[in-house]
Amino acid sequence: MTGFLRIQAIEKRWGHGVTVGPITLDIARGEILALLGPSGSGKTTMLRLLAGFETADGGHIAVANEDVTAVPPARRRFGMVFQHYALFPHLDVGENVGFGVPRAPDRDAKVAAALGLVDLAGYERRSVHELSGGQQQRVALARALAPEPRVLLLDEPLSNLDPALRERTRRELRQVIKRVGITTVFVTHEQEEAFDLGDRIAVINAGRLEQTGAPEELYEAPANLFVATFVGRANVFRGQSARALGATDGRAVLVVRPERLRFSAAGGLPGVVRERRYTGAAAFFIVESDDGERFEVLAQPDAARVGERVHVEATRTIALSENGARP
Amino acid sequence: MRRRLRTTELAALGLAMLLAWLVIYPILVVAGDAADATALRGFFTRPGEWAALWASIWISLASVVLAGAIGIPLAFLFEWFDFPGRKTLGALIALPVVLPPLVGVIAFLFLYGESGFIARAIQAALNLEQAPWRLQGAVAILLVHAYSMYVYFYLFTRAGLAKLDVSTLEAAQALGADRRATFWRVIVPLLRPSLVGAAMLTFLTALGSFSAPYIFGGGFRVMTTQIVATKLNGDLPLAMVETMALAVVAVVGWLILRRTEGDDILVALGKGIAPRPRPIRRSGIRLLATAAGWGLAVVLLLPHLTLLLVSLVPYGAWTTEILPPAINFENYRRLFSEAERLRPMLNSLWMAAASTAIAVALALVGGWLVVRRRVALRRVIEGLLALPWALPGTVFAIALAITFSVNAPLQLRFVLVGTVVILPLAYLVRALPLTGRGILASYRQLDPSLEEAAASLGAGGWRTLARVTLPQLRPGLAAGASLAFVAGLGDIVASIVLYTYETRPVSIEILSSLRLSETGVAAAFGVVLMLVSAVVLSVGARR
Repeated sequence: MTGFLRIQAIEKRWGHGVTVGPITLDIARGEILALLGPSGSGKTTMLRLLAGFETADGGHIAVANEDVTAVPPARRRFGMVFQHYALFPHLDVGENVGFGVPRAPDRDAKVAAALGLVDLAGYERRSVHELSGGQQQRVALARALAPEPRVLLLDEPLSNLDPALRERTRRELRQVIKRVGITTVFVTHEQEEAFDLGDRIAVINAGRLEQTGAPEELYEAPANLFVATFVGRANVFRGQSARALGATDGRAVLVVRPERLRFSAAGGLPGVVRERRYTGAAAFFIVESDDGERFEVLAQPDAARVGERVHVEATRTIALSENGARP
Repeated sequence: MRRRLRTTELAALGLAMLLAWLVIYPILVVAGDAADATALRGFFTRPGEWAALWASIWISLASVVLAGAIGIPLAFLFEWFDFPGRKTLGALIALPVVLPPLVGVIAFLFLYGESGFIARAIQAALNLEQAPWRLQGAVAILLVHAYSMYVYFYLFTRAGLAKLDVSTLEAAQALGADRRATFWRVIVPLLRPSLVGAAMLTFLTALGSFSAPYIFGGGFRVMTTQIVATKLNGDLPLAMVETMALAVVAVVGWLILRRTEGDDILVALGKGIAPRPRPIRRSGIRLLATAAGWGLAVVLLLPHLTLLLVSLVPYGAWTTEILPPAINFENYRRLFSEAERLRPMLNSLWMAAASTAIAVALALVGGWLVVRRRVALRRVIEGLLALPWALPGTVFAIALAITFSVNAPLQLRFVLVGTVVILPLAYLVRALPLTGRGILASYRQLDPSLEEAAASLGAGGWRTLARVTLPQLRPGLAAGASLAFVAGLGDIVASIVLYTYETRPVSIEILSSLRLSETGVAAAFGVVLMLVSAVVLSVGARR
């Protein structure tokens, strides 16, 4: 894979010894990359480094083999959708979308096309104040795409929408991006959003890149304990409990997803059901082992009762070494 | 990045030095020169000096009490109760604060003065030999102060009330507090920052007040008039000592009030819209409130209406009659057709415009460095921009007059007194806190991602400034600029110390017209000032 957008050992040092990077990433043309991490992990700094709002203290950023590390944001031709959209309140929808389009006879046509792309055709003369949150988000997207940028950057693009709208907008957003075919990097702290919208995900924690991969890869083969627990639900077992679930190395850390645990008649790890959280199609059972460790089992709602003594076995485990890394 | 960082820090240093040269250096020069043994002895041994200083202090304190006594109840009336005409009246009674003080003072003179409208009416009605009163001395000054400065309490209290969260009042009631307990234990403490802010502004304005004591003082001297008199008598060393004494009182008063927490002024000035006033149900009280509101508005606006009337009376036409026998536009015609009368008008306009433009430019650069670039000197720059607000205008007038009458380029002192530069410079110093406050507050509210969005869309620095930053700063910029322009247009404090015949502004022309008993022309000038100010301010206040 030859990277269209290449990030090489990019680094930003803040005061107080806080450092983001060095991070190296290659993003293919037309690919959607999610930067996933908890708040304060450095993912927004990464996005701002890409946009040029922060200046790197080391490393390089290149687009189509052009080094843009020192190119100011205004000349970088990267489109950006801001977390709170940053629509210009004193301009109408058309003026917002046309802001980055050069003055030329085809400007209005380009604005109309961009608005059509986000399903807001004919909204040019509306005030941005009278738009709903979802419409504002789409105007922000149209505005970023209208100048035909080389790369699209999105900062928590859905965090301002209510949950019901979020899922639908996510699908529409992906459709628009894929239709335009633009190379995209977006930041999120929600695993579901990263899985749904991204072709590939880069997990960032404490300024470091933990793992890059497709959603399945992160979920089924996490590189370390952080990725295993941050991406999806995970039970972590050590020592005696880990051995009871099939660990061969006594010092290994065993990660098991709740749906990979099941109740069995005998054998495996014994424990008592302490709680049952019903979700409709299934239920999470909180089981306490004899060592006092609590873990979750996802099973049919009637698989067990609270207070019942059960045995739990694993259908699939992820073994990590003692320090949490993949052996 | 490193180099860019150094350039902004250098720019900040340059701006800080320029501001320091404008607002601190002249005062330091005066402080240095004032340390003169003879002058000091002169100041401390003459009873007249102490009397003037004491008069300044007690007049200022009494002004705070009187202004509060009028402004606070008014604020409650207009913020909490609904009655016919509430909105219009609520805006009208805030008017005196925005008009040039001199206009208010001469309007007051024409209405309540010994040869004013009311005195004449009473004299005629009771068939008196002479006017029933002489409006002079401390009482007259206090009346004018109360009349113009209640607006600070009115506006600040209304803003404070508008910010009150209704649920905190409901919470107090749910916890068993009756109306009185709610008022004293919840409302008053929450209003305290607003009240202290208003008290501070009133105290400093009264302390620096010049036109009221100048016109009405007679033999009664306060520090500002004393300083100007000493300066005009040519006793510069003594004038400098007096100036420093006034400056010290201002700073001490400011510090004391600041300690009682008054840092909410920025916020308080920003708002002024009532959340939801209660309609008065009982018809009797409703009638009373309506009558009180309208009656008050009439009383408060009467001086300005009188000014309008006097401006229409030709010279020498009105002698002993209650109502003027003749009314025409003769005074206005003279004002605009006689070159020597038009000149002060044009002088004031261009000098106020120039000082406002520079004050806006400096505040914009300051706002960008302080808020956006967060330079190391940001507190210094902000402090320098705000400082002229805390000191009486007379202090700056004397300081500039002394600093810039000497040619010593190495000390950064040049002869500017007597040139066309000195008055705009003096207006500029007074304008800096007004534009600075408005623009910095707007800059703080400006979401930085708007500018980043413009950059990511390919807009360079200038285009971002013109199309995104300035339009977003517009409300604060326009408010600050219009206040600064009106302050320069109506200035008398700096002008009376620094004007020359060539550069004389409107205020000086009004004074000389009054001295020549050309009341009609003086009033016409006042009306023009009032109208221009009102237009500029209403444009500036548009959202």
